[in-house]
Amino acid sequence: MKLRLPRAVAVGAVAVAMLATSGCSGILSGGGGKSADSGPIKLAAVIPMSGSSAPTGVYMKNGMQMAVDEINAKGGVLGRQLSLDLEDGACDPTQAAAAANKAVSNGAVVSVGGYCSGATLPTLPIFAKANIPMIIPAANSQDLVNQKLPNVFMINGTGTQQAAAAVKFMAKDGVKSVALMDDNTSYSKDIATETKKDLQADGTVKVALATSVTAGESDYSSAVHDIMGANPDMLYWTGYYQEGGLIINQLKSAGYKGKIMVADGSVDPSLVKIAGAANAEGVFATMTQTPDTIKGAETWISDYTKKFGTAPGPYSTQSYDAVRVAAEAITQAKGTDGAAVNKSLEAINGFKIFSGPLKFTPEHTLSSGGFQILVIQGGKFVLKDALS
Amino acid sequence: MTQLIWNGLFVGSFYALIALGYSMVYGIIKLLNFAHGDIYMLGAFVGFAMLSSVGVIPASMSITALLIVLLLCMLVTGGIGVGIEYLAYRPLRNSPRLAVLITAVGASFTLEYGVSAVAGPNPKVFPVRLEGDSFTVLGARISVPQIVLMVIAVLLMVGLNSYIQRTSMGRAMRAIALDTKGSLLMGINVNKVITWTFFIGSALAGAAGVMAGAYYGKIDFLMGFIIGLKAFTAAVIGGIGNIKGAMLGGLLLGLLEAFGSQWLGGQWRDVFTFGVLIAFLTLKPTGLLGERVTERV
Repeated sequence: MKLRLPRAVAVGAVAVAMLATSGCSGILSGGGGKSADSGPIKLAAVIPMSGSSAPTGVYMKNGMQMAVDEINAKGGVLGRQLSLDLEDGACDPTQAAAAANKAVSNGAVVSVGGYCSGATLPTLPIFAKANIPMIIPAANSQDLVNQKLPNVFMINGTGTQQAAAAVKFMAKDGVKSVALMDDNTSYSKDIATETKKDLQADGTVKVALATSVTAGESDYSSAVHDIMGANPDMLYWTGYYQEGGLIINQLKSAGYKGKIMVADGSVDPSLVKIAGAANAEGVFATMTQTPDTIKGAETWISDYTKKFGTAPGPYSTQSYDAVRVAAEAITQAKGTDGAAVNKSLEAINGFKIFSGPLKFTPEHTLSSGGFQILVIQGGKFVLKDALS
Repeated sequence: MTQLIWNGLFVGSFYALIALGYSMVYGIIKLLNFAHGDIYMLGAFVGFAMLSSVGVIPASMSITALLIVLLLCMLVTGGIGVGIEYLAYRPLRNSPRLAVLITAVGASFTLEYGVSAVAGPNPKVFPVRLEGDSFTVLGARISVPQIVLMVIAVLLMVGLNSYIQRTSMGRAMRAIALDTKGSLLMGINVNKVITWTFFIGSALAGAAGVMAGAYYGKIDFLMGFIIGLKAFTAAVIGGIGNIKGAMLGGLLLGLLEAFGSQWLGGQWRDVFTFGVLIAFLTLKPTGLLGERVTERV
């Protein structure tokens, strides 16, 4: 029931595969072409609107809505308005697959959602089968592009790029030995494995320990004990903030003196609250650009704040960009046919998005991940090193 | 080494507190009460609500406040446990086993998502956190809050054991575990005893929930799931239906986890723990202290 377990992913994926091959799946076969050539152009987004990731879902939703409203105010795309079909994936593989099916039967032409990698994976074959291009704004496991599906594009940095940024900072910071810890989910394991690979190839920083914990528990004393035994200069935690907060707290009360770094899934104000403000102080994080670390985003932030009454958060910009990229690709393709849109996505060169001029690599990821290092100061994540 | 033992015993005492409820209920009405882990979660949330409503509590008062809240929470969760039994299990007392099992799963989901709907899906940070100095005994780092919680857990378990061994209600529970129909014929009010069993089991789980909230600091609506499974495992290791077995099983499970993680690494901890469990149960299916034909509970 802890929803991000790989086992759950596997079950979800099998269920999807069965659905897709059962032959009687009418809702899966129509899709792409069904919304015809008139009326609004439907963009689907499977994002978490319930469950523990729901707060991020709101940031994503607002970012998308903002882009849609802006584009519609300028006359829409190909003379048609954009409309957003939001479906709740709850960061749960099973629910996300159901949500994707619903989006397909609603007549979506491009998907602009995807937050939890584990929940996004089972939606890939559903959108692929319906010939719907996916522009994934937040989920960033390498597994998403490893299947080499023609319709999957990622505009967030990948796990590989995040690992590279982490390794770069470790070397720069003079760390000699590192302990890696993940929570056994697709997203988390991906970053940990890539980091380990990079560290071993590089050779200057030693991997003192690579271990996993089970998400959803409260007591991580055995993991803490292992870390204390390995005595690394830095711990790199690649899981989510709930367990991250507990681990930081338990490490510090066990007398851990080394540094701690967390991956982007742990970048959340709740991390500081769970760990305790004093314990969290000075913790580093690898993170893609957030609105307040992007130069020149001030007007955008104030527009967003005026429109929604709250400041933008993680993945607001990426979600905003996903919609804009979708609109651009449809315009270039002069229609909503999935294959044509895929082609125009591949052809995009230099379209301006927050992380820089956009050009997809042959495997459909960003050419540069744009990861940077944040540090917790006074209970808040602030920019430490842009790594550029 | 001593650190591992201490870590194992500490986690194990949480497992044991919850395992007791599983074991008592199974011993008396042969029901696997899957909602039991969620009572633990509920205890944490009730404690959270009480402490939040009080406002700021000075650090010097935090232990006293926590003890009072602990007792109140035990009453509330005990009451909820009784309510669940009355609404969801009693009407099905004479139905097929599977029907009751599924109602238990249903009760579990109802509690989880009910709390999620009322309190929100985001994790909450407990308003009072037990913090204290730690010191080293024989190479193990032990903190004052850990000792406080261990003492509370041990007192609760010792209290429960003497309650069951010494009082007439305890004797009635043991009698029903042995032979429900016979007890009824001997004039024991079976429904009343079952109600008490649920009350006590749920109160213990609620206490564990408050203690976990105050010690670990984070609570969420799914926190009862994994620990519920582990406690159930502990109850089976100890011999389900046996009170002392549940306590022993909880401690043993905690130790297995601590050592498994140390020997084989974190990834293999659960494989090791549950591998040992399977091996153990094939050799002794009745568990540590369970016997086929003895009194249960």
